[in-house]
Amino acid sequence: MKSLGLLKRWEAVLALLLVVEILFFGAINPAFLNVSTLLYSTSDFIHVGIVALALTLVIITGGIDLSIGSVMGLSAITLGLLWVAGVNIWVACLCALGAGAMAGIINSVAIQIAQVNPLVITLGSSFLYAGAALVLSGLGGASGYEGISGFDDSFVELANLEVMGMPFPLVIFIVATAIFMVLLHRTRFGRYIYLIGQNPRATRYAGIPQFRTLTIAYALTGFMAALSGLVLASYFGSARSDFGSDALMPAITAVVLGGTSIYGGSGTILGTALAVLVVGYFQTGLQIIGVSSHIASALSGALLVVVVAMRSLSEIGRAYFLLWRVLNSAGKQKA
Amino acid sequence: MIRFLQNNREASVAIIIVMLLAILAISDPSYLRVETLLSIYSNSLTLFVLAIGATMVMATRGLDVSVGSIMGLSAAIAGVCMNDGFGIVASIGIALFVGLCCGLFNGFMVAILRVPAIVATLGTLGFFRGCVHLTTGGSWIEGLPESFKDLSHAWVLGLSPFAWLVLVLLAAAHVFLRYTAFGHAIFAVGDNREGARLLGIRVNTVQLTAYAINGILSALAGIIFAAQIGFIPNTAGNGMEMRAIASGVLGGVSLLGGTGTVIGAALGAFFMTSIDSVLVMLRFDAYWNDMIAGAILLIVLIGDGRIREAMAQSLRYQKYRKFLEPDELRAADPAPANAATPAEPLTGAGKAGTKDAALATHSKEARV
Repeated sequence: MKSLGLLKRWEAVLALLLVVEILFFGAINPAFLNVSTLLYSTSDFIHVGIVALALTLVIITGGIDLSIGSVMGLSAITLGLLWVAGVNIWVACLCALGAGAMAGIINSVAIQIAQVNPLVITLGSSFLYAGAALVLSGLGGASGYEGISGFDDSFVELANLEVMGMPFPLVIFIVATAIFMVLLHRTRFGRYIYLIGQNPRATRYAGIPQFRTLTIAYALTGFMAALSGLVLASYFGSARSDFGSDALMPAITAVVLGGTSIYGGSGTILGTALAVLVVGYFQTGLQIIGVSSHIASALSGALLVVVVAMRSLSEIGRAYFLLWRVLNSAGKQKA
Repeated sequence: MIRFLQNNREASVAIIIVMLLAILAISDPSYLRVETLLSIYSNSLTLFVLAIGATMVMATRGLDVSVGSIMGLSAAIAGVCMNDGFGIVASIGIALFVGLCCGLFNGFMVAILRVPAIVATLGTLGFFRGCVHLTTGGSWIEGLPESFKDLSHAWVLGLSPFAWLVLVLLAAAHVFLRYTAFGHAIFAVGDNREGARLLGIRVNTVQLTAYAINGILSALAGIIFAAQIGFIPNTAGNGMEMRAIASGVLGGVSLLGGTGTVIGAALGAFFMTSIDSVLVMLRFDAYWNDMIAGAILLIVLIGDGRIREAMAQSLRYQKYRKFLEPDELRAADPAPANAATPAEPLTGAGKAGTKDAALATHSKEARV
């Protein structure tokens, strides 16, 4: 009975899914079970996870940020431009991260000023930032979608660096997961995030600094998006303005699959982190057993649809069961 | 003026479009011709069709981010059918049917399974895109029949058959949403789902229909796209979903459901395309497009939000004015208020009023 109680936690289901999935692909192609394969294949998708962690905060507040993909490109291009202009690569990295955080702050301020749905505002700002990235790369001489490359070796090697036997991007992801878990589940800031998602009006009446909390959440998302853009730039050895355009949907997918309610108010960091791994290994696993990458992405879309539909169905089922129980006991009382 | 803009959201987009064209005309009067407008219009056909669909879905408080993939899928299927020797009409019919099925699937997830709209369509976005690759086997579809491509070439009055079709569709959708019971039901569901259900509207059917129509329209957009460019790449329709939603939002369709017009969304779509064309004509480098479009979109949205806030505040003020004013009068000139002693019960009422006013101001402060 106790183990059943554990299964009620969505994270447990995800962890189970992850293990089953790895074993399944391992059974078809034993090369998949190789520890170094498992660790190093994360480099292909872990940048999605880095953004998804911060995006979880924003979605828990009942908002959403569609501009993360654009911010990833913007930060990579900022880095590239500054590098071309002769700035030290680490200073350039800091500036790129700052640009990301700034983009997040602009999002938040615009949302609060206009009091419009965050979806709409960040849709507009995603056009703005993607456009800004294109303009910057155009001004920097790399016309259109051409990349800026030729970075310092120490920066490019960062992505392939090995820390405690793990690739560096994975280490960033694990550290970020730990930090965000503490931030969301153990601090006052984290409680405010949940509260805003549950009931913004009650939050306001309770005197909780809504503007500050939301701004920090969006700034963190921008910051993490920039970080993930830098990870990509280091991984590919070049900076392009359209880096993040494919990362937006997988990031939202990971957050939603991780059990965060898209309406806000509930969700966990651990769930998001596990969902990133589930989706990522699903894709790599399919490719390793010889499914083409396009069909793999179709199947991961189908995975999202099926999992979410099942969750929704079980919710509906539970609601009906409760209703039936209430009606049943009421009927008995009458009799 | 502000009230007019608020009541006619389409007007603000129209003004921006006129301003954009005015800038173009000032910079180079030779562009000020009907052909310019027509070419912008024919460039924006796909977005027009998608915007009509997006309006319907957004009016039910939904969102469909899978339209780009549906567009690609139906274009691919139409292309495969045509190259396999099916007739053009049959191929288009099959493609529209596929769009209908995709839309119904989205609608089923949202209306029956109660999955949040953005999540459901996010999943089908990836799923349908994968189906595109399955259909085409990963390669581009080329060699479409000439008679099919001709459908996008000038026909009557400089407009292609598809352009006329889209105009008719626009009018039909406007009439449908404005003047039929079902159209009103769509808005009612978006405004207040539970209320609509209690009024006897078949909420699930309405939602399902909105998504189904959106699916068919996306398929049509895909067909128009294929006819216009003459071949079908695997990436057909990529990123169109965001442009469609942005068009709708720009034209005053609320993501919270219940408001918006097809005309507004169409104007939004026209703007999104015209900014691309105009910047090219002004000889800006092409990479400025997205940034300027994004900036204008943000400015319109923030301005709209501010206007709405101001309207709500003035409404609140009107509501509580009768409590506030005696207070203000007394503050301005205390002597008459004291002199009005004969009317003893009146001051009592006044006191009660002050209390209410205090309450009102209090709640006002809390809300602001």
